[in-house]
Amino acid sequence: MEKKIKFWLEGLGNKNPDEYDAKQLVTLYSIKVPKGKRLKPKEEFNADDINPPFVLKVCSSNILHKTELQGVILNNDKECVQDNLKLMRQRFPNENILVENQTNFFGPEFIIGIIKDPALGHAVMVGAGGVLTEIYKDTAFRLAPCSVNEAKDMIDELILSPVFENYRGMTLDKEKFAITISQVSKLADDMGPELSQLDINPIVFSEGEWIALDVKVMFDEE
Amino acid sequence: MKKTASLKTLLNPDKIAVIGASKSKDKVGGIIFKRLLDSRRRLFPVNPKETAIEGHKVSPNIQSLPDDIDLAVITISAAAAVKSVESCIKKGIPNYIIVAGGFGEVGEEGKELEERLRKLAKDNNVNILGPNSLGIFLPDENIDTIFVEHADKALDRKGKVAVIVQSGSVGVEALGYASNTGYGMRAFIGLGNKCDLDEIDFLDFFAKDVNTNCLGFYLENIEKGRQFLAAAKEVTKEKPVVILKAGRTHTAVSAVSSHTGKLAGSDNVISGALKQFGIQRVYDDEEFCDATKVLSMLSGAPGNRVAVLTAAGGYGVMCTDYIEKKEMRALLTMAKLSENTKKKIKDATFPFTACENPVDITASADDRMFSESLDALIEDKGVDVIICIAFFAPPGITENLIDIIAEKTKKSEKPVIVFTKYGPFTDNSIKNLFYAGVVAYPSIGRAVRAARFLVERTKIKQRLDQEV
Repeated sequence: MEKKIKFWLEGLGNKNPDEYDAKQLVTLYSIKVPKGKRLKPKEEFNADDINPPFVLKVCSSNILHKTELQGVILNNDKECVQDNLKLMRQRFPNENILVENQTNFFGPEFIIGIIKDPALGHAVMVGAGGVLTEIYKDTAFRLAPCSVNEAKDMIDELILSPVFENYRGMTLDKEKFAITISQVSKLADDMGPELSQLDINPIVFSEGEWIALDVKVMFDEE
Repeated sequence: MKKTASLKTLLNPDKIAVIGASKSKDKVGGIIFKRLLDSRRRLFPVNPKETAIEGHKVSPNIQSLPDDIDLAVITISAAAAVKSVESCIKKGIPNYIIVAGGFGEVGEEGKELEERLRKLAKDNNVNILGPNSLGIFLPDENIDTIFVEHADKALDRKGKVAVIVQSGSVGVEALGYASNTGYGMRAFIGLGNKCDLDEIDFLDFFAKDVNTNCLGFYLENIEKGRQFLAAAKEVTKEKPVVILKAGRTHTAVSAVSSHTGKLAGSDNVISGALKQFGIQRVYDDEEFCDATKVLSMLSGAPGNRVAVLTAAGGYGVMCTDYIEKKEMRALLTMAKLSENTKKKIKDATFPFTACENPVDITASADDRMFSESLDALIEDKGVDVIICIAFFAPPGITENLIDIIAEKTKKSEKPVIVFTKYGPFTDNSIKNLFYAGVVAYPSIGRAVRAARFLVERTKIKQRLDQEV
């Protein structure tokens, strides 16, 4: 196993990875995430080292769908962030809270994921992302690891692919996106069979970079 | 290496023992023995209850066989088959085809028998095809051990497609279907339960076989998935590999909580993997035969611009609709014909001929007009693929058109695919075109789909050639 993954696993100890942990993992593979801080229950937030606007998220490996549980508050400026943090504390008194810079992006949301096929091992997926991803079903799969060129073929398979060809003036960076997909597939390959599933959803294009706004990692039970 | 060497003997043996050979034409041992009589190989029937079959002396047991048998075809039932393999191994026989079912597919007892066979193959370094194998059929070697009724007469000699199937009836139906309309088969292999020889062995063998230029697999499961894919990718650099993968059994992880897991469904991973490794996927036996036929007879397409030549306007329009349909396998586009091409066609036909693609030379056309229009399309640099809609009903069109198209197809770098229909004579027309060396289909959708296979193939080849 890659050294960097080993360190990450050791840092995790026996607990399941939450969003913050999962984001730390993908950054080991040069995937960018918003600047953020994980606050323990009752920990104060000092807004100085992260730029507004802020997003507040409940940060727990036990909670899969944050939005449905009112576990996300968007558009916080410096004035209201402390009040909204208090509100989150009331809703989730025993959980950590993640405070992040809220990324401003244009273009569609994408999903990049990993699944472990019982016969073929890890496969990487790219698709139309966001909360409606399972309705769109606009996806492409390859076995991990996959090359940057193979990742480009995946992107070309999507119904959404015209957004990479200057559709309505969109200037999304296809090369960087393909590199990101390939890196995710490499992560899965490095981590080995222990990794069961991984979702990066959404991943968006912001100021010349692809940013993973939410990441989930799941291990096999046994 | 040794395995490839002995697969050669398995598929082209000199001396064949038939264990359980019979006089009765109702018995498997009778049917197979009769088929092998045509093989002009030396046959050694074994059966304690018979003394002679068709002029061949029957050995009462395996011990009394000569020592240099190449292949034993075992036609008796499961438990007895395993015992006879044990005896045959003592005689030093290196290759086996086991026809009987009643092994791993029926329960614990069968599984044990199959495990014994697996071990026998491994410990003694022999080749076992099956059990539950449909047999093998190599038209050019005159070897046919397939015990169910199957079409074979119409299969062309010097065929170049190796067909490797896991299950029987789909394979047999594909055979029948293919032979009705002409199909060039190099070999037909029934894998059965794969206790020893599997798809990877035959992939390796036919990849190296100079008489094979296209490999087609019908598989229900691929146990050594990654190994097979990696090996197939090497082969696709030289020869197209087509897979009919049935039983979309790749259920993703049991407890799926991620979006990715839910989106993977049962089939998306294998589909993506096949694309990644340069393998062309099909979804039924008809598509399997259509794809392997065109990929074996034509070597790809230089691009995706299609010209359509028709004597029937309605089909020209339908063809255009099919071509412009967005299919992820390969995108096609209607070619834009040059002014020079249009002039040539008008000069060859009528001043009123509709020369925008599709080119409709109408039912008043004759063989010469068809021929010269086809020349003009082949010479047009803006055309990559040509679909000819050839009907024999118009009074000016004769059967000579078949040879005209064949001659041009042979000379042309550009693939020409024919769609033809002729009432009850359709299959025959397609077969005649096939014997002349022309790929033809009885529906417009299948002709266009065939063009997509060629474009897909060329793209795969280009992609793999770019990889270092």
